[in-house]
Amino acid sequence: MWLLAASFALYLFSLWKKNLLYGGLLLQSIYLTWRGAQLGRLPLVGPHDTLIFMTASVAAFAVPFGSALRDKKAFFSAVAAGAAAFTAFATTAQQHNTPLPPVLETFWFEFHVVLAFMAYALFGITAIFGALSLRDDDGAFEGLGYRAALIGYCLFTLSMIFGGIWAYLAWGTYWLWTPKELWTGILWGFYSFYLHGRLRPWWTGRPMAWLSIAGFAITLFTYLGVSLLMKSSHSF
Amino acid sequence: MTAIRNILGFFLSLRTALWLLGIMLLLMFAGALIMPGRQEFQALHGTPLFSWLRTQPLSITWWMWGLIGLLAVLAANTLFCSVESVLKKRKVTQWLLIIAPQVIHIGFLFVLLAHLMSAQGARQSQAAVWEGSVVALPGSTMTLKVRDINIILDYYGYIRDWEVDVEYLAAGKALHQDRIMPNNPSVRQGFNVTVKDLRARPPQAVLLQINREPGAAWALAGGILFMIGITTLVVLRIRMER
Repeated sequence: MWLLAASFALYLFSLWKKNLLYGGLLLQSIYLTWRGAQLGRLPLVGPHDTLIFMTASVAAFAVPFGSALRDKKAFFSAVAAGAAAFTAFATTAQQHNTPLPPVLETFWFEFHVVLAFMAYALFGITAIFGALSLRDDDGAFEGLGYRAALIGYCLFTLSMIFGGIWAYLAWGTYWLWTPKELWTGILWGFYSFYLHGRLRPWWTGRPMAWLSIAGFAITLFTYLGVSLLMKSSHSF
Repeated sequence: MTAIRNILGFFLSLRTALWLLGIMLLLMFAGALIMPGRQEFQALHGTPLFSWLRTQPLSITWWMWGLIGLLAVLAANTLFCSVESVLKKRKVTQWLLIIAPQVIHIGFLFVLLAHLMSAQGARQSQAAVWEGSVVALPGSTMTLKVRDINIILDYYGYIRDWEVDVEYLAAGKALHQDRIMPNNPSVRQGFNVTVKDLRARPPQAVLLQINREPGAAWALAGGILFMIGITTLVVLRIRMER
């Protein structure tokens, strides 16, 4: 747990010294590797591990996206604040240390989860760019946000396909009508709307920025809200 | 003539797609509020969607009917826009950039077709079986015999692995033998047989899930096309910006 506490501190201090973000990312990567070695599987089950993985993904994706910016401070500060908040939340969340049921021991499941959380992280980065574009009225932020959303949408779609294949192999059907699947459909439909909306001039600029923030709110509800508040085939 | 032009204009418009997607999102939000509070949706796991919809009150299914209608219009809109895009831009040099979104659209239409086929023709049943049990496969002359159940527990009593040997029979004659394991169903003549639950203490028993998903192959094909299209699009966009 001290690794997590240290990564939280580094994310927090990176609000003042940007390079400390890399330190936080490194410590979380070490923590996830250690958890994986301890559990003998990918540490991606339950809110604790998935929150850490998503936080590390946000920080990792922030590096290439942030390098394209002239003024990096505001972007990396927003990433640092988000990473610190998610890390703090993860430390309070329950750890799943029991062995996985046999149906979860497949690379279809592992890819399904890894890709989903990488997509969530990219949707988070899209939202940060959206907020910055609203603050500074700078089209460059919105353009980068669009790129992050496009890659995130690609990964999210791949995650859904892998999930469908896995569900067919494990339970004989590629789609179940549960709240989690419905919210997944909402999230996918929302980013389909976002990506198509940008092709029309009316939507570019502030409407897209607001959409990117709304998109991350839906992402968080699909990830945390549905799992915590509703009964579903997905515990997380 | 004007009416035809208006109809064509409606289906060829990106604005139509955005309106449809927007309304669909609103309907799904409504469904997300209705679904968790109603027990009726539990039966959807064992019934084809269209059969289930016909037996349920409109007060809980209106958003699904709305979605089906909008998806039908969106499918037509997607098709029209794709054809127009290819015809209009066929002479440009970056043809991959024109084709990639259309491959995505074809993939999406395949997935819609898959859901339509499964909503109409999916069959789901369950059977609790022991070694030696024989189960009828719904709508087929074949039966399924459970030959052997092998459940492996770890030191703490968790199920670590399992194997169920089955045999397909027709008129009492053995046709084919198979082994069901975690993430390894028995798939034969459109049937997908998986193990939904197990009882480890003797006499060992399993709950078989016997499904027929006519849309599965279409969904897979659609998913692959979608991925090829979107990956090509992302790679091309990144290369263009460099």
